[in-house]
Amino acid sequence: MKTNHLEQSNIATSESILVDSENNYHKINTQGTSIDIQDVSVSFRTSKGISTVIKKINLQIAKGEIVAIIGHSGCGKSTLMNTISGMVTPTQGRVIVNNKIVVGPSPDRGIVFQNYSLLPWLSVYQNIYEAVDAVMKDKRKKEKKAIVEENLEAVGLIPHRSKLPKELSGGMKQRVAIARAFAINPSILLLDEPFGALDALTKSSMHVELLKLWNLDNRNKTIVMVTHDIEEAIFLADRIVVMNDGPSATIKEIVDIPLQRPRNKKDIVHEPLYAEIHDRLLSLLIKKFSIKDME
Amino acid sequence: MKQIFQIKNTFSLLYFLMSALLLVGIWKVISILTEGEIPSPAATWLIFQEMLSDPFYDYGPNDKGIGLQLWNSVKRVFIGFSLGSLIAIPLGMLMGSNKLAMRLFNPLVQVFRPVSPLAWFPLGLLAFKNAEGATIFIITITSLWSTLINTAFGVSSIPQEYKNVSTAFGFSKWKYIVKIMIPYALPHIITGLRLSIGVAWMVIVAGEMLSGGIGIGFFVWDSWNALSLEKILIAILIIGIVGLLLDKFFNLIQKLTVYEN
Ligand SMILES: Nc1ncnc2c1ncn2[C@@H]1O[C@H](COP(=O)(O)OP(=O)(O)OP(=O)(O)O)[C@@H](O)[C@H]1O
Ligand SMILES: [Mg+2]
Repeated sequence: MKTNHLEQSNIATSESILVDSENNYHKINTQGTSIDIQDVSVSFRTSKGISTVIKKINLQIAKGEIVAIIGHSGCGKSTLMNTISGMVTPTQGRVIVNNKIVVGPSPDRGIVFQNYSLLPWLSVYQNIYEAVDAVMKDKRKKEKKAIVEENLEAVGLIPHRSKLPKELSGGMKQRVAIARAFAINPSILLLDEPFGALDALTKSSMHVELLKLWNLDNRNKTIVMVTHDIEEAIFLADRIVVMNDGPSATIKEIVDIPLQRPRNKKDIVHEPLYAEIHDRLLSLLIKKFSIKDME
Repeated sequence: MKQIFQIKNTFSLLYFLMSALLLVGIWKVISILTEGEIPSPAATWLIFQEMLSDPFYDYGPNDKGIGLQLWNSVKRVFIGFSLGSLIAIPLGMLMGSNKLAMRLFNPLVQVFRPVSPLAWFPLGLLAFKNAEGATIFIITITSLWSTLINTAFGVSSIPQEYKNVSTAFGFSKWKYIVKIMIPYALPHIITGLRLSIGVAWMVIVAGEMLSGGIGIGFFVWDSWNALSLEKILIAILIIGIVGLLLDKFFNLIQKLTVYEN
C-alpha cells in the first residue's frame, strides 16, 4: 500500500514539473535542487544521555517549490528546519543549499521565526531596514530604502511603518517578519509555524499575501514551512512531508499536491483531488493517534 | 482622566507637606530636649536665608558660598562618575558577551567591590599626587561596580531569539552591538548608573572630608570646626535633596528607555 502510494507520488512530481501549465512556466528554467538534505541525523546531549531527534532524513527540494512539513508536536520539525537554516548542525549527514554545504545561518535563507522575533526597540520600518542594510552592504542607502518601501508596500504596512512591534496585532507582526525575510531577497524562505498564532480570517489573508509575494518574484523562491494545519498545507504546498513521531523521527511519507495554481481557497475544497489528499493526510496523522492510543 | 491626575497631584503635594511638617516637628522636639545644643528649625532657617542671599561668594580658599561648594562637589561627582561609567559599560558588555572575560574579571569584581571607597584614597594620592585627583579617583572606583554588574547581567541575558535574528540576517559585530546589545541592555545599564550615582554622591562627602579644599563635604567638616551646627544641618538637607534629584533624573531616563514586547 505504502510503496504503491510512493510510486504514485513520483509520477505526480515529474508531471507537475514537466507539464508546463500557465502557472508552472517558471519551473522550466529554474529547475534544479535548491535544498538537498542528505542522511541527516541530529542528536542532542541531554541530562538523560544522548537523544536522537531526527534520524537519517533524506529530502530534495526543487527550486521554486513550496514544501510543508507536518507532524506531531516534538517530533523534530523545527530541528529539521534549523538544519536547513544552519542554526543546528547535523550530528550526521549534511545539508546542501544552492550547491553549498550549510555550515551556519546565511542571508541566502530568509527565516520567519515561529515567534516573529522582531526587535522590540525598532519600528516596523527599521526592523526591515536593518536586515536589508546588513545583507546588502554594497547598495546605496537610497536603494536600500527603496527595497524596504517596496516590501512594506507588498504586505500593506506602509501606514504602520513607524509603529513599534508592541503596537501591532499578531497578523501585522507576522507580515513584518515576512516582509523582512523577503526584503533580503533570499533564494529560500524558511517559515516555522508562521501562522500558528493567527485567527482563521487573518490566517487566510496571510496565505494569500504569501502567495502574492511568491508570485511577484516569478515563483523563484523555494519555501519550506512547518505547520500543524492540514488545510493550510494543502492550499500552499506542492508537496507535504509527513513526519513520524520521535525520538529518531524519520519521514513517514511525502504527499504530492498536484492542484492547479493559482488556487482558490473557496473552490479547491470542492475538487475531488482535494478531498483525496485531505483524507490521505488525515489518515496518516490519525493512524499515529490510534497506534499511540493502543500503546 | 485629567481630573484624576490633578487630584492625585494635590494629594501627593499634601503628603509632602505633611512629611515636611513631621520633620520640623521631630527636629523641634529634639532641639528642645537637647536644650538648644541642636539648633531649632527657626534658628537654622535664619542662617539658611543668610547663606542663600549670596551663595556664590568667594572670600579666599577657606571661605566660599554654599552654591560654590555644591557646584564643586557636583562637578567632581560628574567627572568621576563619567570616567567610571566609561570603564564600566564597555567592560560590562565584554563580560556579559564573552565567557572568558567573565571568568577573568568576575573574581576581581567580587574582591574589590566590597572595599570601602575611602580605602582607595591613599592609592589615589600616591597616583595623582594631589587630593583633587584622589577624590575623583575614589568616585570613579565607586561608580564602577553597580554599572559594571548590571551591564554584564543585561548583556548576558539577551534572549537567543534576538541573537538568532542577528545571525540569520548576517548582522556585523558593530550592528549587533548597536542595534541589539545596547538597546536590550539599556534599561539594565541605566539601573546600574542610577545605583552608581547614588553611591558616588554618598562617597563624595566622605572623600571631601578627607581631601579638604572646596566642596560640600569639606563644608560640613569646616562647619563642624567652626561649631556651626545650623550649617551642618542645612548641608545635610542639601546633600539629601541633591541626591534625590540625581536619583529622580535617572529614574526619568529609565522610564524613557523602557520598551515592551
Ligand atoms: N537544543 C536542544 N537540546 C535538547 N533537546 C532539544 C533541543 N532542541 C530540540 N530538542 C528536542 O528535540 C525534540 C524535537 O524538537 P522540535 O522543536 O524540533 O520539535 P517540533 O516538531 O518543532 O515540535 P513543535 O511542533 O511542538 O514545534 C524535542 O523532544 C525537544 O525536546
Ligand atoms: Mg517547532
